[in-house]
Amino acid sequence: MSLDSLKQQALDYSLGVLPKEESLLFEALLEQDDDARHWLAEAQEDCAKLSLTAPSRELGEEVRTRVMEHCQKPIDLGPFLACEEIQRLRDNFHAFQNRYSGGGGAVDLSDVRFSKLKDEVEGNYENLLNLFPLVAGDSRAAAGDFSNLQRILRSQGSFTDGIQKALDYDLRGQDPANRSVLRTALATMPSLSFFADRIREKQPSMGDARRLFFLCRDQLKIMRASFRDLDPARLVEDEKLRLHGAGLLQTKWWGAEHAYFSSNGKVRCGHFFDGPVTERCVEFAEYDANMYCLANLLSPRSSDGEFHLELLKDTVPGCTLAVAIAKMDQNQHDSLQMMLKGEHNLVPGFEQDQHLWTLIEDSMMRGHHCNRPEILREQQAFGCKRINGYTYLWFAWPAIPHSHDGAEAVTSNPLQ
Amino acid sequence: MPIIDTDLWYRIKDGDSTALGELYDGFAGAMFSLSLEILGDRWEAEEVIQDVFSYLWRKPDAFATGKGKFSSWLLVLTRNRSIDRYRSRKRRLDRDEFDDSFGVKEDTSQSSGAEEATLSDERSHLKNAFSYLPPDQRKVLELFYFRGMNHQEISDTLELSLGTVKSRIRLGIEKLRNSLTSLRT
Repeated sequence: MSLDSLKQQALDYSLGVLPKEESLLFEALLEQDDDARHWLAEAQEDCAKLSLTAPSRELGEEVRTRVMEHCQKPIDLGPFLACEEIQRLRDNFHAFQNRYSGGGGAVDLSDVRFSKLKDEVEGNYENLLNLFPLVAGDSRAAAGDFSNLQRILRSQGSFTDGIQKALDYDLRGQDPANRSVLRTALATMPSLSFFADRIREKQPSMGDARRLFFLCRDQLKIMRASFRDLDPARLVEDEKLRLHGAGLLQTKWWGAEHAYFSSNGKVRCGHFFDGPVTERCVEFAEYDANMYCLANLLSPRSSDGEFHLELLKDTVPGCTLAVAIAKMDQNQHDSLQMMLKGEHNLVPGFEQDQHLWTLIEDSMMRGHHCNRPEILREQQAFGCKRINGYTYLWFAWPAIPHSHDGAEAVTSNPLQ
Repeated sequence: MPIIDTDLWYRIKDGDSTALGELYDGFAGAMFSLSLEILGDRWEAEEVIQDVFSYLWRKPDAFATGKGKFSSWLLVLTRNRSIDRYRSRKRRLDRDEFDDSFGVKEDTSQSSGAEEATLSDERSHLKNAFSYLPPDQRKVLELFYFRGMNHQEISDTLELSLGTVKSRIRLGIEKLRNSLTSLRT
């Protein structure tokens, strides 16, 4: 092989553009040839020099915190995975021939009984559409200039007021339109309104803008998945087959701050499996809403201001298991469990928080093709458990069959 | 280039988290600058940095001491991960799917961004050397390194022969290498 050819191979190998077979041959050469190793080191040096011609940019402290969390010891899930409830789930869960892929909870806006509320849903969607580019990764806010974002937020009404207005209506009962309103008001919006208010009223950080970006994106998709005539053109895109990976969930939850109205806390993530979770945006929106509901139930009750999220696959064959865990005082746990069972209504915020659990229950009925929630509760498809001072909430979602695992997943974690 | 001692890699390999912190403090800025230059999106570039550090922590043996410098390997890894993301995003847009930003971009023309005023001598010198490359070499290198185009794609885009593309890349890289050598002597 000529010297030029070897140098070219070393460069192409460094940059990952050498065809696979040639890469394997080059790797074999590296094991035995000093010249090959020398030119690989040279090529990497040259690339490093090119890399350093990029304009220097500042990296925020929040990223360091997130990076260092990778070094923390993961929580021991052994006792939870061995508990009777999860064993019962294993014994009863079976995969479905026709896997549910989202969109089943959607209604038309015209199904909403209160016309003012319908207008508010539309207005809210428009405001979020306008807000979204202001918090994107190429926005001024992402470069540390919050003036435009703050000006826009101050010119709009508070999202918190919007949620309260929606909750002032009588949204009880089995009406699917009520459930869609509740999903769009209670899953993502409380956290979104918290960060929007903080940015509007205080000196924000880039971490706040990043969090608002994810919340805004998720809320827009949840709204489209809840009201099918809200934005039909974009909904068509959301309904297309496109696998969504667990990495997308890990990216937005890892080291995040989460708020449920004024109660905020820190999220710690443990194991998130690698691979697709859902098949379409509309399904991902539903999965997302469920995750936010779990987080909203736990974050105000955590005794140390933290809660953990885990996303497990194959611990229960055929399904993915989303688990939220928080250290909790016994009395908080007891009232949470009673509320989840609907056994009393003396807990402050009882009705609002019970809506969160009802939304998960609705989604489980669709995901598991079962119209009797008591059966799903009995099978432990979703539930609540206390182990060693920690409260565990979970829901099981039918996994995408293994034959799809090799397909391109829209994941933000290409390294795994 | 910031000095990243290979000893740091040995400590990371031994599970020393303070070594990972030291590496982050000394080198994450350079990695992030590169990723942001490629992706043009702060949140995505931050994810790349997080992914690279997580990868290094979980699989330190991915780096081999006999095959180059630790710092060079980290930058090449960051570049390749960023290019993967850039291509993946481009593929999604090419399929006429909606961009998450819905095609509406904020006007950022008045923003100076978060570019630091101070560059190390070496970085400053390299940046100057790059800007003084003949425009045809600079263009080919930009497409090759920062946009992840292969030789054939560059050849098609700029309507140049494959041989010309390769020689411009090689000449550009050699000039950068020589410019740094002259700085050091």
